[in-house]
Amino acid sequence: MAQLTADQLSAPAQADHGHMSVEDSNNNLKLGVWLYLASEVVIFSIMIVGYVLLRINEPDVVAQAHEKLGVGLVTANTFVLLASSFFMVMGLRAMQRGNRAGMLRWIGLTALGGIVFLCGQYIEYSELSHLGIVLGYDLESQWSTLGMRFYAPTFFHGAHVFVGVLWALEVLRRGAKGRYDRNPIGIEMFGLYWHFVDVVWIMLFTLIYLV
Amino acid sequence: MAQATHQDDGHHNNTVTLLGRQITVEGGIYTVVFVALAILTVIEVVSAEGLKGAIHDAPDAAATLQAIKAAILLVIAVIKSTLVIWFYMHLRDEKPLLAVVLLLPLLIAGLSILYLLAIPPGGYSL
Repeated sequence: MAQLTADQLSAPAQADHGHMSVEDSNNNLKLGVWLYLASEVVIFSIMIVGYVLLRINEPDVVAQAHEKLGVGLVTANTFVLLASSFFMVMGLRAMQRGNRAGMLRWIGLTALGGIVFLCGQYIEYSELSHLGIVLGYDLESQWSTLGMRFYAPTFFHGAHVFVGVLWALEVLRRGAKGRYDRNPIGIEMFGLYWHFVDVVWIMLFTLIYLV
Repeated sequence: MAQATHQDDGHHNNTVTLLGRQITVEGGIYTVVFVALAILTVIEVVSAEGLKGAIHDAPDAAATLQAIKAAILLVIAVIKSTLVIWFYMHLRDEKPLLAVVLLLPLLIAGLSILYLLAIPPGGYSL
């Protein structure tokens, strides 16, 4: 089967060639993104289980880590990501209303939110490394069991934010050319990904930093 | 010419009915959801910090308080996640199939977590 590019799928006229309406094409694309996100649910769940098992079996280590970590920076970062999710959905709303300039402004803010979040995560990791909470497995360190279980889900999430920022920039590039003027499905697909990343962080924030 | 259909399903309305009252705000339901997410996050952090102090002050009841703390925080996190999925990811407007696509791996992951939690930390001894 010929592989369709995102450009082809986002062009309404192209969709008619395959005897498929634009709405059907859009629904198929959204189903594809949802299936991808479903696979991500399983991957993140595995990492969360690893952390939860540590939380239950070694509560003292986690309690001490909470003392070291604090919640100030990570709470600010959480607000940034929640705000970026709001910017994202407002960007889609603007495009659906035919407001291309508004869409570019909101999606630009979404990308900025992602960049600020990553900067916050970098600062947090730097502080943790100074405290001795590192990825390596050191039997002499009280944090040896924590490192991997903390960094794996948070870094994997950060990697998703990084990919999301790149995707946002690509949406901006295409949007500036008017690719989404008639069919904003490309923005909607990116939105599904970005909101999912937000949902994952909502759970990680609670499980890792607060519980 | 074929175009993406767009229904005026309320997402583009700046007026939202909340607790029986009509509120007009730029962004409509999306802004209301964002404010709700922010408030819930503040409640989450304040609850976590408050209960952490209570656990520290009452070591005898630490296990119970920790369980209560975990339950409260997880309920809030699930509410926040549901708000994002329902409104921002538009699951409320989609076909039920997409809800199944999301819930099935969650169910499998949840059962797997319960299975793993049932294994003793030191493994089984004969």
